[in-house]
Amino acid sequence: MRFGGRRPSPLAPDPDLIRTLAELLAENGLTEIEYAVGDRLIRVSRGAPAAAAVAASAAAPLPAAPLPAAPGAGASGPVIDPGAVTAPMVGTAYLAPQPGTPTFVRLGETVAAGQPLLIIEAMKVLNEIRAPRAGRIAQILVEDAQPVEYGAVLMLIE
Amino acid sequence: MFEKVLIANRGEIALRIHRACREMGIKTVAVHSTADAGAMNVRLADETVCIGPPPARDSYLNVAAILSAATITGTDAIHPGLGFLAENADFAAAVEEHGFVFIGPAPEHIRLMGDKVAAKAAAARLGIPTVPGSNGAVRDPAAAQTAADGLGYPILIKAAAGGGGRGMKVARDRAELAHLLPIAQNEAISFFGHGEVYLEHYLDRPRHIEVQILGDGQGGVVHLGERDCSLQRSHQKVLEETPSPALNAAERSRIGALAVGAMRTLGYRSAGTLEFLYQDGEFFFIEMNTRLQVEHTISEMVSGVDIVREQLRIADGAPLGYRQAEIRLSGHAIECRINAEDPVSFRPSPGRVTDYHAPGGLGVRVDSALYQGCTVPPYYDSLISKLVIHGKTRNECLMRLRRALEEYVIGGIETTIPLHQRLIDAPEFIDGNYDTHWLERFVGRRG
Repeated sequence: MRFGGRRPSPLAPDPDLIRTLAELLAENGLTEIEYAVGDRLIRVSRGAPAAAAVAASAAAPLPAAPLPAAPGAGASGPVIDPGAVTAPMVGTAYLAPQPGTPTFVRLGETVAAGQPLLIIEAMKVLNEIRAPRAGRIAQILVEDAQPVEYGAVLMLIE
Repeated sequence: MFEKVLIANRGEIALRIHRACREMGIKTVAVHSTADAGAMNVRLADETVCIGPPPARDSYLNVAAILSAATITGTDAIHPGLGFLAENADFAAAVEEHGFVFIGPAPEHIRLMGDKVAAKAAAARLGIPTVPGSNGAVRDPAAAQTAADGLGYPILIKAAAGGGGRGMKVARDRAELAHLLPIAQNEAISFFGHGEVYLEHYLDRPRHIEVQILGDGQGGVVHLGERDCSLQRSHQKVLEETPSPALNAAERSRIGALAVGAMRTLGYRSAGTLEFLYQDGEFFFIEMNTRLQVEHTISEMVSGVDIVREQLRIADGAPLGYRQAEIRLSGHAIECRINAEDPVSFRPSPGRVTDYHAPGGLGVRVDSALYQGCTVPPYYDSLISKLVIHGKTRNECLMRLRRALEEYVIGGIETTIPLHQRLIDAPEFIDGNYDTHWLERFVGRRG
């Protein structure tokens, strides 16, 4: 997924803002920044190393080698970690059942198969994403309210 | 003007729309299936969203996924391209209900022209001649025979919800009609979900002539001349040219004016095409396509009008800003549809493109998303490239087309380039002497 994100819609976070926060985080050696304007709150944390908030890449010149396929790409796609929880639809991921409530799961927590992990909102419908297997939450690769595309890896379960 | 447009399509037509957007300074969002993650239109887009797995029903036909992608990217407008959701009135309406602009006609015009029986009735009301046919659906053989007696045999049985040549049968006499009617009704149910069929007098050696229209929905309508799409195989167009070798100037301006007048009365908005059968100097309306068409390119070559750019301007509310008298059609243009198919058996030939070299030079345009190393997935339409040639005269165009086909290299998969090379050497084609049945015979003769 590539998002340029010039004009965030009401549902989408502002990628430029998130990028700025992420840069501040790295520059100052912090692990977490919370930034709120009105009722909109953005938290950027370094708990999940691979979680680029919203991967922003401009329309770069074509590389010589083919681009890596999207996660979950067809038969010739990369091997997906068997513990990967992938997005079954395009939408906006939410880590908590309601704004202001605790997240469904925390990093390092042990979950049972079928336990709710997060919500993806698509077409104003909230779709609960459940753990495909039991295990420990090794990585959380999405931010709250982050747009996700089909096949995006959301979490890793060990 | 829009800042960001989502292109709800794939392949060459998605790239075609991307090009128009970029020339207007508009950012593009490519939505794609997992099978198309490495496609050229995706690589060039400003933003991309994977919307589903390879099957089209889960990705390119997945309305919820496309609207979600539009929401998370902050898209202003959605261009449906052609095929997939382009003529789905419910999709057009859903796009508008979600606050995006649909780059195409009003949903009610899509719906009207999508129902072939209603479309024909509407055309007749708008003063466009239609093929003599049953007024509405026929249900049983007796009613069909009564209707057919008045129309004259041979009779064509067509599915009301049909398109792309599917669900059509030809009956030569009353007995054959009674035999074929239930078969056609069953096919219509299995292809389109509706068993309604209707009858038309069958023209035995027609040409397929279509008129390209642009309307702004504010009273401005022009046509960009006609296209001759008579070269078809299994009701799929293979090669198109403009102007038609069969029409004279008087016929051309007559059918153009008729189409423009009808679309002005309808208040039609965006690009559209009225398709006619032409035989013995007469035109008969068959259907209207309320969308961009594959072969729009040849009309662009002779008119200099960028049809996708006009669609974007019109969708943004701009008036056409020019009149018919300002449209100058110059020279001759031909489009060859190059498919990833065996040129003899027409078996699909998906796979990796190992070598690629596109022809170039004056008057040569290639609309294709192919590149060396790309993969043609097996899940979708086999059209991979459109070779579009312009020349001052038809002869110059044919000579240029011949050398461009010689230059074109697509390695690793089978393509229909050899079919086009044989086709343009056929004396009947060179003379412009062909009807909609000719290519089928030509392929059978040599294949």
